[in-house]
Amino acid sequence: MKVLIAEDDRETAEFVRKGLEELGHVGHATANGTDALHYATLEDWDVIVLDRMLPGIDGLSLLRRLRAAGIPTPVILLTALGRIEDRVEGLESGADDYLVKPFAFSELAARLNAVFRRGPAREVTTRLSYGIIEMDLLKREVRCGGKLALLQPREFELLEELLRNAERVMTRTMLLERIWGFHFDPQTNIVETHMSRLRSKLAEAGARDAIETVRGVGYRMRPDN
Amino acid sequence: MVRSAAYRIAIISSLAFAIATCALGLFVYLSAHAALAGQLDDRIREDGNTLLNEYRHEGRLGLFDAIAGRERQNGSNELGYAVFDVKGVRIAGSLITDMPEPGLRNILFRDPEEGPDPARAFTTLLPDGSRLVVAADREPLERIDRQIVTLFGAAFVGVIAIGAIGAVMLGAYLRHRLSAMNVTAEAIMGGDLDQRVPVGPRGDEFDRLASLMNAMLNRIAELLENLRQVSSDVAHDLRTPLARLRNGLENGLRHGLPRDQRDKAIEQAIARSDEVLSLFAALLRLSEIEAGRLQQAFAPVDLARLTREMGESYALALEDGGRRLECQLAETAIVLGDRELLAQALINLLDNAQIHTPPGTRIEMRLETEDSRVVLTVADNGPGVPERDRARLTRRFARVDASRSRPGHGLGLSLVSAIAGIHHGKLSISDNHPGLAVTLNLPEARP
Repeated sequence: MKVLIAEDDRETAEFVRKGLEELGHVGHATANGTDALHYATLEDWDVIVLDRMLPGIDGLSLLRRLRAAGIPTPVILLTALGRIEDRVEGLESGADDYLVKPFAFSELAARLNAVFRRGPAREVTTRLSYGIIEMDLLKREVRCGGKLALLQPREFELLEELLRNAERVMTRTMLLERIWGFHFDPQTNIVETHMSRLRSKLAEAGARDAIETVRGVGYRMRPDN
Repeated sequence: MVRSAAYRIAIISSLAFAIATCALGLFVYLSAHAALAGQLDDRIREDGNTLLNEYRHEGRLGLFDAIAGRERQNGSNELGYAVFDVKGVRIAGSLITDMPEPGLRNILFRDPEEGPDPARAFTTLLPDGSRLVVAADREPLERIDRQIVTLFGAAFVGVIAIGAIGAVMLGAYLRHRLSAMNVTAEAIMGGDLDQRVPVGPRGDEFDRLASLMNAMLNRIAELLENLRQVSSDVAHDLRTPLARLRNGLENGLRHGLPRDQRDKAIEQAIARSDEVLSLFAALLRLSEIEAGRLQQAFAPVDLARLTREMGESYALALEDGGRRLECQLAETAIVLGDRELLAQALINLLDNAQIHTPPGTRIEMRLETEDSRVVLTVADNGPGVPERDRARLTRRFARVDASRSRPGHGLGLSLVSAIAGIHHGKLSISDNHPGLAVTLNLPEARP
């Protein structure tokens, strides 16, 4: 993955660039908006990580210019804490995702993966499966090797989200956003409790350890299941 | 003096009075003069006409008799008469003057005692070419004019004097009243925050301003105290996780530590720093909510539905912890607000009910609408909170448990209270007999 990092704080930019390199990606950092616009229009990038506040051209204007110029590269917007209303503005300006500073690198990496592979709109599907787990979206049923697992609606949605992104790690905050619609961290263990119930129900139905905890990052379907 | 608003106001108002006095004097002078002069003219014209009739009926001699008769009766201030023949020679009457032109004229006549004197004369041309003159002394008119001028001149001087004295007194009074406030303000700037403006007993505008200033000072002092408290609490709450973080890192750095143990130490250090970050996140979120900017994005939210969803999300987790959640929710309850903030409030209330009660507790969520209010109650039958501690529950970093051994950073209820605040609602905490009941009272939005 080739990532353009437009971030004026050198330390943050370097931390992101190094992290990407360790994952085998290419990161290129630039510290001001004018240069960022230049790079973004001249070269092809897989994802752009864009700080909301940039010297030269600020992040939002830069994003609008990119979209106006027809450049569809996925953009993750970074913003300082305490400006929730910026989020709506950012997404309306054409950002694909939004991350509040300070963030853990693993969170950014998970979101980069998500926007990079998002591709075209989700194909209409009625069945999802992974290993022995089969999900029927019409009947809203989950079977593990044919055995029914009785899930609560939220548990069902949680599993659906993991199955749809089976190759990727879903972070706690991504799950909070997609299932509960919370774009902030409510500082509660709601995801953990649902995950633990979901796991024990899946285990009861025969799919033991189907969901893997990626320490400090989030959850994903265990590949060797 | 120029810099004093009080003096300026008093001087301007007394000047205005003086000008008004002047204008009034001028008006009285002019109108009195005109009225008296008119009266004088009427009198001589009338008498002239009477004499003319005399002449018509009785002839020249009759006229001379009438004039002589009048002059005999006259006192000193009465009218003077003269008849001039065609050549301008006085042939009757005792008025000594040159022959005037016909009509109303100002003339000079010779008073045998006082010399030349101005007078008003009415001259009529008689059919035989001679002229009849009836004249009145202008002296009384001029005397009245002089009196009016003297009177108003004195009044003008008086008004200026009274105005000047008033200005000095009013200025001194205002300065005196304001200086009390100045002294207080200076003392407060000097660091003595306990100073208050003295409030007089009269309840006038100065007293009202003084009470208002005092109320403002009290509020500022309260906020400052709160800030002081919060800063010291933040420092205190940060020290613990930071110290643990430091110790953990120090342990991890020891020589010869197996790799897995070192990894564990690093993981723990990350968890500790997350604690610190989450404390800051909560504080920032609190100040963001209190800043009130989010109100611009408020939209109708069905609080009943949101509560039902949160209830569903929490019910099972609560059951796993050995507690029971019961919901009695109205069908719909629309409030104007931010869905995520309201969800945050519900989460904090449910988390509190879970953290601060023993297993086996029954937790109840009630939502009802009454009188255009939406009332949401989260109650438990746990140990509750003593009444004396309830008031400070919504303060930042407030914890009933002084040892701070229970989880949480003590910001939960202050967050709920702030959320209620920006939704124009109220948070109240009461006794649930037994247990604690926390009630959110929000205005209902008309669909």
